[in-house]
Amino acid sequence: MSALAYEPETTERWGLLDGLPGDPMMWVLILSELVAFGLLLGAFVVARTVNPVVFAAGQAMLDGPLAALNTVVLVTSGWAAARGAAAARGASPAVARRWIALAILLGAAFIAVKLTEYGREIAAGAGLETSPFFTLYFLLTGFHLLHVVLGMVILGIVGRHSAPTSVETGTAFWHMVDLVWIVMFPILYLVG
Amino acid sequence: MVRDRLTLAWLNLLSLAIATLAASLLPNRWLADALVLSLALAKGRVIVLDFLGLRHAPALWRGLLTSWLAGLVALAGLAVALRALV
Repeated sequence: MSALAYEPETTERWGLLDGLPGDPMMWVLILSELVAFGLLLGAFVVARTVNPVVFAAGQAMLDGPLAALNTVVLVTSGWAAARGAAAARGASPAVARRWIALAILLGAAFIAVKLTEYGREIAAGAGLETSPFFTLYFLLTGFHLLHVVLGMVILGIVGRHSAPTSVETGTAFWHMVDLVWIVMFPILYLVG
Repeated sequence: MVRDRLTLAWLNLLSLAIATLAASLLPNRWLADALVLSLALAKGRVIVLDFLGLRHAPALWRGLLTSWLAGLVALAGLAVALRALV
């Protein structure tokens, strides 16, 4: 073998990223996504403090129970994804594929519910430029919805062969999307 | 065993989601907001430990994600308190 030939390392060391499920680089992405969502949610909280009347009026137009339904849909999807990762680790790729497919299906249900909600809000007169509340609301939830779509694509790719590390990597992203929603839901819809 | 833990975590999340909706209906806004935010922290912690699988990962990562959660919840709580005081 030539001295220039690529020789994969058998025991890669990632320093601070060692010991995490899936590909360590996914965790760099997860951390950067959490920082981005954290800044946006922080901006929303500060803007609400500065403009309480406008934000309270905007929040009153949202459909809390429908968003609560989406919480149930997303955590159930997270459960299915976690079961898929457990099955992949247990060398049951066919079982893993079924769980991942259920997670993707529930992701599609989340999108359907969210689009229904958008439809109702827009019909009630809400828009990107209606108020600072709705500008931030559509920005935050739209950015999150894009991540749901991206997560479904990632799950579709890793679920195809259901290799343990790939599934762990894909499901880690999916759980991050779930985690962001868990914090976003009360801040946008419930806390007065 | 792992499957059981995951299913327990899911049932826990469903219970916390229902509790969140019930808490949001309380007539006392202070209590409602405090409960809703505490329940968000509890749900997030379940996702971090059981779904993301950080229960046995390095403490640094559990700490980072929990700090992200707690930081946002604390900021939202502080904003509620400020609005009530002003």
